[in-house]
Amino acid sequence: MEATSMEAAEESPSMLWGLDPIFSAFARLYIRDILQMTESMQVPGIYFYNSHPIYKVDILGTVVYKREREDFFCYGVDDGTGVINCLCWKNYLQKGEEALGQSKFASVLIYVPAQGGFNLAAEIKKLREAQKNRCHLEIGELLRVRGPVKTSRQQREITAFVYYKVNDPVMAVQIEWMMEVPRLYRECYDKPLQLRRDAGSDTTISSLSKATNIIKDFLKQKSVSRFRPYDVQDLLQPLISCQPQTWKEKSNPVAGVSGYQQLRQLLKETLEMMQNEGIIYRKVKSQDEVYHVTTQDKDLFIAVKDIIREDSRREKYAEKGCHVLHILSAVRQRYSLNVGKPALELVLKSLECNSDIVSTSDNYYTAF
Amino acid sequence: MLPAPAVFHFPWEVNTIQEGQSVRTFGKLVSYHPEESRAVLSAQYASKEHLVFVHTLFVEPFNPIIGAQYLVLGETENVEGLTGVCVMVRARVLNCVDGVNVALLQKAINEQRGFFAERDSKKGAAALPADPT
Repeated sequence: MEATSMEAAEESPSMLWGLDPIFSAFARLYIRDILQMTESMQVPGIYFYNSHPIYKVDILGTVVYKREREDFFCYGVDDGTGVINCLCWKNYLQKGEEALGQSKFASVLIYVPAQGGFNLAAEIKKLREAQKNRCHLEIGELLRVRGPVKTSRQQREITAFVYYKVNDPVMAVQIEWMMEVPRLYRECYDKPLQLRRDAGSDTTISSLSKATNIIKDFLKQKSVSRFRPYDVQDLLQPLISCQPQTWKEKSNPVAGVSGYQQLRQLLKETLEMMQNEGIIYRKVKSQDEVYHVTTQDKDLFIAVKDIIREDSRREKYAEKGCHVLHILSAVRQRYSLNVGKPALELVLKSLECNSDIVSTSDNYYTAF
Repeated sequence: MLPAPAVFHFPWEVNTIQEGQSVRTFGKLVSYHPEESRAVLSAQYASKEHLVFVHTLFVEPFNPIIGAQYLVLGETENVEGLTGVCVMVRARVLNCVDGVNVALLQKAINEQRGFFAERDSKKGAAALPADPT
């Protein structure tokens, strides 16, 4: 019971599977392991060997069972550790070769002049022969199969992407395979995947984005147009108190101040980030820290609208409209030095949504 | 439906295998009696000759080359021989692999066995401390 519960817990989230190089490779596993791999609970058709996600494999073994259907062969392949069914689709060359193959090529072949000594009909026939020889196996012959693992009717099988007979008269290929697979296991499959997780930076990033969201929600709900840092400081308090204790333990000598300092630091970083995004800006940089909420600042909207309307009348801008950078410098001259490009872009976007201004081309705006 | 996996065994181990097991082994063809469907493979090991008796009914007709190396895959059976009960392999597959590097093949078989032994011992070691907790 312990083992199964442990395996289920060990299954990594599917988002991380792509980070495992074995996931996108054809894994050369022993058939015994292919039969015993646990199937993923999240995505059927994905299997786990040693917590490596696997969905396609590469096997080599002796054919010990064979069944032919109209559309496919079913080969039982034995590599000395297990036996697995391989579903091998026939291609059109093998399938009904007289009826389909002939008629398809006959029309083409009529127009081929045979003077160059290159007879397409004969070459196609040779190709078909070769393909048939490679795909049509008898019991006892060596088969190589690559493809995804499937479970159908509670039996594991491999649906071949590629399959072919391997000519191995002196067992050189088999011996090489037997020597190589254990090495692959030791170097890849049996080594646990270690994703590098920088836990520290991870939590600070998430707490920063959480803090930003909290403040954004607050501003939106209350339709705040301007605020001072201490107005929102208390909102972030829950983020600090639910932080893991490790932070405090690390900064043991200054344990007394760390809680408040963390809060101040988080608030400072959050406001900085929101400023960089243009959500808030400071109209005047003074001792009194007042932040204006960009989308709630009616004066800024009016200023920007006026600038565009006035300048669009000027001959220079009449045809194309005003460029964003021109508007920015005008806003800085006439309204506030501290308006950044992201903030201006937010304003332009909402003005455009209200049809107060019109964009003539990328980054150019005009008003009527 | 599918037969059991035929695990590689050395010719000198075949006589110790239980009846009904699937095996694959190799050896030099030293004799073949088509009327009885019996063939004998032989291999040298530790300055002794080891024989593997093969029942060839399922793989006939085949081209017997006396003196060539063969790979056989099949199930073991106990039969009454001249010297008491001995093991015979009822062949499902009998391939001529003359020219095979026997020393390298032995090395590859040992390599594979070594790998599985190592893995099983690791699993055993990992399972033991987990049990009491």
